[in-house]
Amino acid sequence: MEDKLKSVKRLGIKNSLINSFFALVFSLLLGMIFIIASGYSPIDSYKAIFGVSLGTLKGFALSLSQATPIMFTGLSFALAYRVRMINTGAEGQLYAGAIAAAIIGAYVTNVPSVVHIPLAFGVAFIAGGFAALMVALAKVYFGANEIIMTLMLNQIIILFTSFLANGPLKPPGSGVGQTERILDSAKLTKIIPQTQLTTAIFLVIAVALILQFILDKTVFGYEIKITGNNLKAAQVAGINVARTYITTFALSGAVAGLGGAAMVLGVNYRFIEGFSSSYGFAGISIAALAAYSPAAVILSAFLIGILKSGTITLNRITSIPVEFVEVIQVLIIIFVAAPRLIRSILDTFKKIKNKLAKIQPKVSKEQTINGGESE
Amino acid sequence: MTFNIDLIYSILASTLRSAVPLILASMGGCFSMRSGVSDLGLEGMMLAGSFFSVVGSWLTGNPWMGLLFGAIFGIIFSMLHAVMHVSYKVNASISGMSVNLLAAAVTPLLVTLIFGLSGKSATVVAFKKPNWVWLNKIPVVGRILGTQNALFYVTIVLVILSWIFLYKTTLGLRMRMVSENPQAASTVGLNVKAYKYFGVAMSGCLAGLGGAYLSLGQMNLFVEGMTSGRGYIAVVINAFGKYNPIGALGGSLFFGFFDSLQTIFQSVLPSQVVMMTPYVFTLLIITFGIRGGRGPAGVGKHVED
Repeated sequence: MEDKLKSVKRLGIKNSLINSFFALVFSLLLGMIFIIASGYSPIDSYKAIFGVSLGTLKGFALSLSQATPIMFTGLSFALAYRVRMINTGAEGQLYAGAIAAAIIGAYVTNVPSVVHIPLAFGVAFIAGGFAALMVALAKVYFGANEIIMTLMLNQIIILFTSFLANGPLKPPGSGVGQTERILDSAKLTKIIPQTQLTTAIFLVIAVALILQFILDKTVFGYEIKITGNNLKAAQVAGINVARTYITTFALSGAVAGLGGAAMVLGVNYRFIEGFSSSYGFAGISIAALAAYSPAAVILSAFLIGILKSGTITLNRITSIPVEFVEVIQVLIIIFVAAPRLIRSILDTFKKIKNKLAKIQPKVSKEQTINGGESE
Repeated sequence: MTFNIDLIYSILASTLRSAVPLILASMGGCFSMRSGVSDLGLEGMMLAGSFFSVVGSWLTGNPWMGLLFGAIFGIIFSMLHAVMHVSYKVNASISGMSVNLLAAAVTPLLVTLIFGLSGKSATVVAFKKPNWVWLNKIPVVGRILGTQNALFYVTIVLVILSWIFLYKTTLGLRMRMVSENPQAASTVGLNVKAYKYFGVAMSGCLAGLGGAYLSLGQMNLFVEGMTSGRGYIAVVINAFGKYNPIGALGGSLFFGFFDSLQTIFQSVLPSQVVMMTPYVFTLLIITFGIRGGRGPAGVGKHVED
C-alpha cells in the first residue's frame, strides 16, 4: 500500500515536472517571435543570454540578485496556493515589509549588525504577515473574497507608504519620495563585491527549505495539504480549517514582507517609492512554474533571473527589450496552468507528423494508419 | 483656496471624467460575473484597449476607428481568459491575472516595436469636446456636461442598454441563470460555454472602451501602464455595486469623486491620504456590509462535458 502511495506521488511529481518543462520550452519558443520582431537571430540571442548569465561571474551574480525578490514572492504565492488561496497581495505585503525594514534600519541606532539585521527582517516579517492576516480573517469570518481584499489592501499600503516617503519620513532636501538611508549596521553583506548579490539569497533558500520541511514533514503541513486538496475531507477529519487558512495566509504574507526587507537592506539601502517592478505579481509565474513546491521555486526563480540578467546585460549592446522576459513569464503561467493545452499542442504535433507520414510512399502510409488506430 | 460655485462645478465635471473609464470597465465586469466568470482580467483588457485604440487612431487618423480597435483588442485579450478558464478549466484567478500580466508585458514591447519610442507612444488624433452651444446654455448642467467628450454620452447609453439586456431580456435572464447555477442551466438546454464566452467577450469589449477613454479621451497618446490599477478598482467597484450596471455606475462615481478631490485638494491634504479614503471605505463595506463582495453562486463552476 505504502509503495503504491509513493509511486502515485512520484507519478504526480513526474507529471508536473514534464508539464513545467514543456511550458518552459513552448514559452521560450514563442518568445523567439519577439526577438525576431526586434530584428535579431533568436538562437544566437538565447545562446548569448544564457552565455552571459551562466558564463561570467558578474552575469551569474546578476541572475541570482535579480531572482532574489521573485524567490520571496514566488514562495509567498506558492504557500498560499497550497490551501487554494490566491495571494494577489504580495505586492502590498512587499511594500509593508520594505517600509518596516527601512524604518528599523534608519532609526534604530547603536546596535551591532548581528542584532540590527535580524531585527529589521523580523519586523518586516510581522508587517507583511499582519497585512495578510487581516485579509485571511476577513475571508474566514466574513466570507470576503481574498483577491478583492488583497488588491485593495495593495493600493492602501502602496499609497500609505508613498505618503510616508513623501511626508513624515522624507529626508530633508530629497527630491523624490524616499526614506532616510539605513545605517551601515543594517546593510547586508555583499557576497561578490560590486554586485547586488547579498546574503539575502541564503535567507531565501533557508526559508524555502523550511517551508518545504513544514509541508512535507510536519502535522501542520499535512493539514495544509488536506485543506487545500479536499476541504470537506479536512473538515470531516477534524482539522481546524479556519486556523489553517489564517496561519498559512499570514505566513505567506510574512514571506513576501521578508522580500521587501531584502530589497531595502541589500539593494536600495532605503525605501524608495515605487521600488518594486511588479515583483508581487511575478511571483505567480515563479510559483506556477515550480508547481507550487517551495524548493522548486528557488530553481524556477533562478531560471527567470538568468533570462533577466541576460537581457539586461545584452541590452547594452543589442536592443532586445527587457520586457521580453516578462512576456516569457506570462507565457509560462499560461502553459503551466493549462496542462490540457500542452497536451493538445503535443497531440497536434503528432497529428501533423502522422499527416506528413501519410504523404510519404504507400508502404509507410499503411503502417502509420495502423499506428494511428492503435493509439 | 476659496470655496465657490466654480469649484463645485469643476469637482463634479472632473468626477464624471474620472468615472467614465471605471464605469465602462466595471460594467464589463458585470457581464463577466453575470455569466459566471471571474472578472480579474479587466486591468489587462483595459490596458490592451488603451494601447490598441492609440494604434488604431494612429493608423487611420480617426479616433472612432481607434475606439473600434480598442474594443476589438479588448475582446482578443479577453479571449485568452475565456479559452483558459472556460475551455481548459484553469483557475479563473490565474487566467485573469495572466491577461493582466500579458498586457502589462506586451504593450511596452509593442510601443518600442511600433512607435520606436520607449515608455509612451506618438501623439495621435483624440476625441474632442462636442461643443454643443445649446448644451452650454443650460445653466447648471451645461457647466458640468459641457466639458465632457462624446465618449461620456456613449457610456451613459451603454449603461442603460446593459441594464436592460441583463434584467429585461430573456437572453440576459438566461445568462444570469448560467452564473447562478450552470448545471441547472445546462440541464434545461442552455449552451453554458457559449454564454460564458459571450460574457467574457463583452467584458473585454467594454474594458477595452474604458481603456480607450484613458488614452484617446483624457489624453492623446499611450503611456506605459497608463491604467495604473483602474482595472482592479473596477473589480472592486463591481463587487461593491453587486454586479449590476447601475451599481457599477454608482460605485464608479464614488471612486471618481475621490479621484477628483485628490487633484483639487492637493495643496491642502497629501494626495495619497485622499486617494486612500475610497479604498479604506470600500474595504470596510466589503468586509462588514455586503456579504463579503460575493458574486453569483455559480461563478467559477464548470459543467461536466
